[in-house]
Amino acid sequence: MGRLNRLSPEQASAEVRELFRSFLAERGNVPNMFRTVAHRPEILTTMLAHFRAVMGPGTVPVPFKEMLAVRVSRLNDCDY
Amino acid sequence: MAKQFGVGDEAIRGLNDPERYPFPPDQKAALLFADAMTRGGGEVPDDLFDELRRHFSEPQIVEIACVVGTFNYFNRFNNAFRMDITLTDTEVVVRRVEQAIEGAPRDALDACERVVEILAQGRRYLRVGIYRRAEETFVRAAYRGPEAPRQSFRLGEGNAGGTGITKVVDDVSNDPLARAGLAATRSELVVPIRAGSAVLGVIDVESDREAAFGEEDRALVERVAAALVPVFRDDPLTP
Repeated sequence: MGRLNRLSPEQASAEVRELFRSFLAERGNVPNMFRTVAHRPEILTTMLAHFRAVMGPGTVPVPFKEMLAVRVSRLNDCDY
Repeated sequence: MAKQFGVGDEAIRGLNDPERYPFPPDQKAALLFADAMTRGGGEVPDDLFDELRRHFSEPQIVEIACVVGTFNYFNRFNNAFRMDITLTDTEVVVRRVEQAIEGAPRDALDACERVVEILAQGRRYLRVGIYRRAEETFVRAAYRGPEAPRQSFRLGEGNAGGTGITKVVDDVSNDPLARAGLAATRSELVVPIRAGSAVLGVIDVESDREAAFGEEDRALVERVAAALVPVFRDDPLTP
């Protein structure tokens, strides 16, 4: 287990529950990190908006952005 | 995740050493920029930045830097809190398996390939193998993870193949029947693929952690085994 508690959908506010639901539909899971940040719903809301703006369709191909994310995570010893 | 977006296995391995791997020049420039931005305080040498500019517009450079910055933020957050890896929801895994099987209705090997990929990716198992029964032997149909020393085993040898019941081995060193081919394997889950009393095959899942397989994974792999029954039953090689 990580060092902090993760919120389950039942523990989260209605707004956060909706965010969880949309993430599950988009990616097939709700990352543990987001379930942890859910302790601070305002931060989670803007974090997800930022994440989508950065990683979604933009001026650089999405698969290549995923490759950059993998490279950075490997450098940081983080199993993404 | 990159794999789900269609990035090939070889390119993903190449990400261990972008300097050496033959990425196209634009990708290489962006990857080396990511390295420079991530290491130390993020000092990016002029020549590297000039190379980035040769390939990308300023909006693109901003977007690339935001990806690198966001993942540095997320990685550090996760590392500091020793965040567990996120596994794909089991309902989603089952749905993906069912879709994959529908997409390969008459080709058992293709279906098995798709299924081991979904399981290994979604649940981060050390190793997943699907074995198909051919008379008195179980022959490997597909696997993900390190190559195991054996590709087949006889009926009645090892777990589940002979008994027809699921077996969870929390500690393989205490189980004389565990086939623990991999030195790294600590626990194992073996689920038969069975139609009535006939065992058509076996799904073998291994973890490098002790007692890694709880009720959730057991139920998941049993549902996957049930989904594979029609594929195996219709397969001409099944006895």
